[in-house]
Amino acid sequence: MDLAMLREYLPLLIPLVILQFALGITALIHVLRHPAYRFGNKVMWVIIVVFIQIIGPIIYFTLGRGED
Amino acid sequence: MGILEINQLHKRFGQHEVLKGLEMDVPEHSIFGLVGQNGAGKTTTMKIILGLLKPDSGSVTVCGEKVAYGETKTNRHIGFLPDVPEFYGYMTAREYLKLCGEITGLSQTKTKVRSEELLELVGLKNEKKRIGSFSRGMKQRLGIAQALLNEPKLLICDEPTSSLDPIGRKEILDILLAAKGKTTVLFSTHILSDVERICDRIAVLHGGKLALYGTLAEVKQRHRYNGFVLEFENVETAAIFAKSKELQHPSISTTRSGNTVTVLLTGCDLDGHFFLDVLAQKRIVPLKFVALEPTLESLFLEVVQ
Amino acid sequence: MTGYLAFLKKEIFEYAKTYKLLILLVVFAVFGITNPLVAKLLPEILGSLVADGITITMPKATAYDAWTQFFKNATQMGLILTVILFSGVLSSELSKGTLVILLTKGLSRTAVILAKYTCMALLWTASIALCFGLTYVYTHYLFPADKVSNLPFSVFCLWLFGMFLLAVLLLSAVLTKSSYGCLLLTGAAVVACLLVNIIPAAHRYNPISLVTDKMGLIKNTIAVSSLFGAVFIAFLLALLFVSLAVLIFRKKQL
Ligand SMILES: Nc1ncnc2c1ncn2[C@@H]1O[C@H](COP(=O)(O)OP(=O)(O)O)[C@@H](O)[C@H]1O
Ligand SMILES: [Mg+2]
Repeated sequence: MDLAMLREYLPLLIPLVILQFALGITALIHVLRHPAYRFGNKVMWVIIVVFIQIIGPIIYFTLGRGED
Repeated sequence: MGILEINQLHKRFGQHEVLKGLEMDVPEHSIFGLVGQNGAGKTTTMKIILGLLKPDSGSVTVCGEKVAYGETKTNRHIGFLPDVPEFYGYMTAREYLKLCGEITGLSQTKTKVRSEELLELVGLKNEKKRIGSFSRGMKQRLGIAQALLNEPKLLICDEPTSSLDPIGRKEILDILLAAKGKTTVLFSTHILSDVERICDRIAVLHGGKLALYGTLAEVKQRHRYNGFVLEFENVETAAIFAKSKELQHPSISTTRSGNTVTVLLTGCDLDGHFFLDVLAQKRIVPLKFVALEPTLESLFLEVVQ
Repeated sequence: MTGYLAFLKKEIFEYAKTYKLLILLVVFAVFGITNPLVAKLLPEILGSLVADGITITMPKATAYDAWTQFFKNATQMGLILTVILFSGVLSSELSKGTLVILLTKGLSRTAVILAKYTCMALLWTASIALCFGLTYVYTHYLFPADKVSNLPFSVFCLWLFGMFLLAVLLLSAVLTKSSYGCLLLTGAAVVACLLVNIIPAAHRYNPISLVTDKMGLIKNTIAVSSLFGAVFIAFLLALLFVSLAVLIFRKKQL
C-alpha cells in the first residue's frame, strides 16, 4: 500500500482504530481491576487483550472474565 | 382462619415419597418453626407453597387464595428467603431492591423509603459494594430485606440460620423477631435452640407428615413424661437405689450415670409417691428429686425415632 | 406488565454490565466498517503486491462486493457470535437460582420469557442496524455511482432470520438446562433447515432461504416475491417457538 493510498483512506480507517482501542482499553482496565479470572493469569490476559485486536478482548470478556 | 393452610399434601420424587398427606395451619401473627431433619421435605413444602413445585395431590391456601402451580399470584402476600439466596452479582443491594420494588409494582418513592428502612434493619445501609462480593451472611441479610420489601402478610424463610456463625445467627433471629409485629413468620430449621429462642409455634415434619404440632407450651404439656431425676450424695447410694428390687418393674425404666438416676414410668398408675416410699424404706435422702421436663430435643428425638 | 418492563430493564442492564452489549455493538460496528473497506482495498493491495512482470488484472471493486461482504459477515460470524453470546440466556439464571426470588415476588413466568426474547430481539436489531448503517455510509462514499437492488428487503430478510434463530434459541434454552445444550439444539435446528432445503419444493418456504438467497436478491437474479413464503413461515415459526417456550417454561419445575 503506498502513501497516497494511505492518505486517501486514513480518515476512513480512523473509526476502526478508535473502536479497537476502545475495546482493548476497556478490557485492559477490567483485567487489571478484577484479578480473579476463570483461568489464566494477569500477564497472560494483558498480552491477549493488548496484542490480539478485537478477538482478544472478546475472548477475555466471554471466557476469561471471572465472576464479579 | 389461618394465613396459610395446607391440606393433604402429597409429593413424590420418583420412588421417594417426600410428603405423605401433610396437614398444617399457620395462624396470623405467629412465628412458626418448621423443624425436620435434612431431607425431611421442608424445602419441598415451601416450594409448593410458592407455586414453584407441583404437588401430586392436596391443596395450599394463602390468605384464603388457592395456590396454583406455575403461577405467582398468591406470592404477592408472601416474602420468601430461599435456603441459598442467589442475586445478580453485578448489582448493588440498592439496585436489587429497586428491581424487586419494580416487579412487585411498588411506587418508586415507596421503594426508596422501604429500601432504606430495610437496609438499616439488616445492617447493610453503608454497603456500596456489588452483591457478587458479599459474604454468606450478608446475602442472607439482603435476602431478608428483599423478602420484607412489599410488607408481606407471610414471611417464609428456609433455614435462614443454618450456614451462619453464632453471631450471624443471633442477628438473623433478632431480625425475624422484629418482623413479628407486622407479619407472620414461617421458618424452617434443624437447629432446635433457634426454635426455642423465637418461635411461639412449632411443627415437626417427619415421615412426610407433622409428627408434632402446636404452641411450645402445648407440645411440652402433651408430651410431659411421667419421670423423675434423682441426684444422690454419692455413686454408691445412687447404685443402691437404682438396683433396688422394687424398681425391677416392667413399666419402670431406670438409667444411672454417676450419682444421678433417671426413672421413667410408662403406662401404669404409679407416680412420684411410689419412689418416695422406696426412698423412705431404704432410708435414703436424695439431694434432688425433680420431675422430668421434656426438652425440645428429647421430644424431637422421641418423635423422629 | 410492570413485571415485564422491570425485567426487560434488568436484562438490558445485565447485558451492559456483563460487557455482552459492548462486544456485540463493537463487533457489528467493526464489520460495518470493514465490509466496504475490504471490498475496496483488497484488490488494490493485491494489485500493488504483484511482482514486476506478472500482471494480474483484478476486476474493479463495486458496491456489490461491499454488500457481499456485509451479508457474508453478518450471517456467518455475526449470527454465530450473537447465538453464542445469548446461549446462556436462561441456563445461567436456572443453574444459579437467581430467578426464584423474583418469581416469588410475583413476576410471572410469561413475563420472564417474553422479556428475555424482547431483549435479545432489541440487541440483535440494534446490532444489525448499526452494521447496516456503517456499511451503507461507507459504501455510499467509496462507490458513489453503484446501485444494488432490493437492499432494504434483503436486510429485512437477514433481520427476520435472526429473529427466527433467536426464537429457536429461546425454545432450546427452555428445553435444555445448559448453555451447551442450548447451542447444540440451535445448531441442530439450523442443520435441519439446511437439510430440508435439499427438497426443491421446500426451498420456497424454508426460513433459511432468507439468508441463502440474499446474493441473488441484491443482484436481482431472484424475485422478491419468491421469498414471501419463507418470510411468512419464518415469522409464523418464530411466533410459535416463543409461545411454546412460554408454555413449557410455565410448567417447568424450578
Ligand atoms: N428436584 C428433586 N428431585 C428429586 N429428589 C428431590 C428433589 N428435591 C428434593 N428431593 C428429595 O426430597 C427430599 C426432601 O428434600 P428437601 O425438601 O430439600 O428437604 P429439607 O429441606 O427438609 O432438607 C430429599 O430426600 C431430597 O433428596
Ligand atoms: Mg432444605
